[in-house]
Amino acid sequence: MAPAAAAPDLRGLAWCCAAFTGGVLLHVDRVPLWASATAFALLAWRILTARSSGRVASLVVRAALALLLVATVLARFHTLNGLAAGTALLVPMAALKLLETRTPRDQLVMVGAGLFLLVAACLDRQSLARAPLYLLQTWLCCAALTVITARGLAARTALALAGRALLLAAPLALILFVTFPRLAGAFWAVPRGEEALTGLSDSMSPGSITHLTSSYETAFRARFALAPPPPEERYWRGPVLHDFDGYTWRRGGSSTESRQPLEPAGKTYRYSIALAPSQQRWWFALDTPAQSPDARVLLTYDYELLAAEAVTQPVNYEVLSYTEPRASWALGAAERYEDTQLPQGRNPRTLQLAQSLRQQAGSDAALVRAALEFLRRGGFEYSLDPPPTGRDSVDDLLFSTRAGFCGHYASAFVTLMRGAGLPARVVTGYLGGEWNPIGGYFVVRQADAHAWAEVWLAGRGWTRVDPTAVVAPERLRRGLLDLFPSAMSSRERLLHSSVWLTRLLQRWDAANDWWDANVVKFTLNSQLDLLARLGIRSPDIRHLGWVFTAGLLSWLAIIAWHIGRDLKTPGRDPLATAYMRLCRKLARIAPARTPHQGPVSFANTVSERRPDLKERVDALLMRYAQLRYGAPAPATHTRDVTDFARRVARLRLRGAMR
Amino acid sequence: MTRSPVFEPLRHSFNIRLNAWMRRRQGADVLPLTLARRRLYILPTRAGLTFAALLLLMLLASLNYGNSVALFLTFLLAGFALVSMQQCHRNLLGTVLVAARAPTVFAGTAASLHVTLGNSALRPRWQLEAAVPDQPLASADLPASGERHVLLPLPARARGVWNIERVRLATAQPFGLFRAWTWVYAPLQLLVYPRPYGALPMPGAPGRRPGTHSEGSTGADEWRTLRPFREGDSPRQVDWKAYAREAPLLVKEYSPPGAETRMFEFARLTDPDIEARISQLARWVVDAEARGDRYGLALPGICIPPDRGPQQRHRCLAALAAWQP
Repeated sequence: MAPAAAAPDLRGLAWCCAAFTGGVLLHVDRVPLWASATAFALLAWRILTARSSGRVASLVVRAALALLLVATVLARFHTLNGLAAGTALLVPMAALKLLETRTPRDQLVMVGAGLFLLVAACLDRQSLARAPLYLLQTWLCCAALTVITARGLAARTALALAGRALLLAAPLALILFVTFPRLAGAFWAVPRGEEALTGLSDSMSPGSITHLTSSYETAFRARFALAPPPPEERYWRGPVLHDFDGYTWRRGGSSTESRQPLEPAGKTYRYSIALAPSQQRWWFALDTPAQSPDARVLLTYDYELLAAEAVTQPVNYEVLSYTEPRASWALGAAERYEDTQLPQGRNPRTLQLAQSLRQQAGSDAALVRAALEFLRRGGFEYSLDPPPTGRDSVDDLLFSTRAGFCGHYASAFVTLMRGAGLPARVVTGYLGGEWNPIGGYFVVRQADAHAWAEVWLAGRGWTRVDPTAVVAPERLRRGLLDLFPSAMSSRERLLHSSVWLTRLLQRWDAANDWWDANVVKFTLNSQLDLLARLGIRSPDIRHLGWVFTAGLLSWLAIIAWHIGRDLKTPGRDPLATAYMRLCRKLARIAPARTPHQGPVSFANTVSERRPDLKERVDALLMRYAQLRYGAPAPATHTRDVTDFARRVARLRLRGAMR
Repeated sequence: MTRSPVFEPLRHSFNIRLNAWMRRRQGADVLPLTLARRRLYILPTRAGLTFAALLLLMLLASLNYGNSVALFLTFLLAGFALVSMQQCHRNLLGTVLVAARAPTVFAGTAASLHVTLGNSALRPRWQLEAAVPDQPLASADLPASGERHVLLPLPARARGVWNIERVRLATAQPFGLFRAWTWVYAPLQLLVYPRPYGALPMPGAPGRRPGTHSEGSTGADEWRTLRPFREGDSPRQVDWKAYAREAPLLVKEYSPPGAETRMFEFARLTDPDIEARISQLARWVVDAEARGDRYGLALPGICIPPDRGPQQRHRCLAALAAWQP
């Protein structure tokens, strides 16, 4: 390229760098630090050496860097396949390509990399908050295309051009989005990388729930068909834990027993849940779900909902739940054995207490009541940040520190019950939820994570007992963040400081809920529902095809018309147009106007031929002469011209030229 | 770009057929020419094809992952490409090829076609490219309701009259995903004068020895020829006596002092190489005109009587350019 073309070349380089940087920024909080740092360092290198001629780095250096990057990704991810590893590799590798970017074609490759990163970001996260970022990146890439292919275009012009084209494309995108048939399955298996797990895990140690309480993230949203349950019934069941090693509770392996039928007692609730991606297999339901909401989800012996695959995209499902179900059968020997096991030689004082409670109590129910009474009277404190406990963690809690969080109390209560010979287990999940009046649903956040206990009572089956409700009864009614404002980040405290902000926050949450339900989860069924709402009876894919074709064709026609409008030449004078039309009409009854004839002379010609029309024709032609050549009347001119055009349009001439 | 030995002949013959077809379809063009819809062709560029491949990949990925946002963006970009196709077509449609002219050159110097492009629309047109076949293109941005001149390089030619068969007008703007183009078949010619070259001395006037003429001359008073009156001629040079005899208005032409009348004859030259003789004659014509001499040219079959001025120079050089033994 000639040296004279250096300046526009720099502009193309700047724009391809911008498009690529935008792509990297979409991933900057997901890819490893070294990947984005390498990308930015290479970008800086390329920009600093932009004015120099020749290649920035020699082939050897670039090849060595590329090999190093591949090796690093392999060492870190053990694969190059999958979204996470692929992105981590694409970010620095594309930056490396930037080093040898000289021609417009190379620059287009960089814009392509920007688009690739955009798609990867969409596949990674598709929340409402990120949608504007994706649109911005699309705009940036399209503008970069213009600048690179039309060398020397100003930034504003490029952005305006690309923006206009994208706006024109938006209706088509909507039509295609709504009508393009969705796949039921996938073409190829989707490899998932190691991604951050959120929410409850399938084990519980002291403090494992506490760390969730600082998270304001949404776990799921629940929408009840009828009246929602009262606060003391809003227990959302997650992993149920059986095995205790003195420190950590685990799920254990015996949950393979088949479930026995339950007799519903108490109220039944029907509701739908919109579950946020957690990268875990747990689905959540209120207390005891009656059946699995999905074929790929197992309703376990413990009434947990365990999916076959991790939740990586928002999921919607409907559940029917029982509160206070009854089981009339007897607990199997294996289960009874498992749920009365305690670690050997731990917590001797607790076991002693359990024995004495057992001796005083006449029944299992009385035992439970006595244990709860112990907790209520013992001066226990509900604390987010309890003092650490030692090897005999339950002993320390019950007899020395007397302060703990829900997990601690659940653990202590179950230990106590097992010590007294009553089968008991720990249930983790969520308690409560914040009512969103705008969306009409409950938001359950990670901060609502909770742990409680279940004991086996003969004739009733597994019965929920929440020791925390005894220690801190207010926890039932109020969210954790209300109880412990210190657990909130400063941002959340600010947001909760005014009603107006809270309302805004609820609106935003409702918008997110709408987005997840109607955009992210827009499936073939949603498409068919939409067609049915448009009035098509029993719609199927063929109808989608018809709507698709009709939409595409009308969009093409409108776009062609809209873009063709630009070609209009100036000087399209409505007065002249109307006059030409009048002349054409008159030419049917009289000799056509010759080019040298003015309106007055033409009026004479016409009147000679058709004296019967003289009055009407004269009036129109004189009016034209007056509008065209008469004294200007700027105030009424436009209206007069419109009026004249209308009179010309209405003119009906009978009888052909004789 | 390397050209494959297998496909290149095929490509070449295909291009010839395509060209003939378009020529038949469009007919000959008369300038000024407004580019109409019927004569515009449009295809994706290499970047456009790559973009389409990227879109296909995006579509597969987003369908596979069931990802709504990626799917929407894919459709948005597909719509963008379709809009860019319409805009590219529109960027060329309605462009006016106002004028095209190839100024005469001497063989061995660079020739070019001067093209004037006009835009009657209210929107600017970006990066219109114009080129003659197999030559580098020249591009210009046309302002709204404006004109631009571009110089298209023409291949270097030997002396002669060369037809410029067709001119290509194209654009890939905006976005460079599609290229719209058209071929204009206007009757355009490039006249290439022979290269003025040779060291032989200029022959003198016929029947007079060189150098004797100036003594006999009486300066500006001595007129040489009569020619028809042209507007702008001084009335003092009009031959009023002849006019009084009811002859048409004639103007007496005077030679500057020292000017001579010469006749350059092809037959007098002895060089066996005909092109060298032509070059020598061209050299003499150019030099004689520069000196202000009157000169004539005699080629086998052609005789140009002595005269001077740009017309005479052009007449002689054009005859030399076109002459074939």
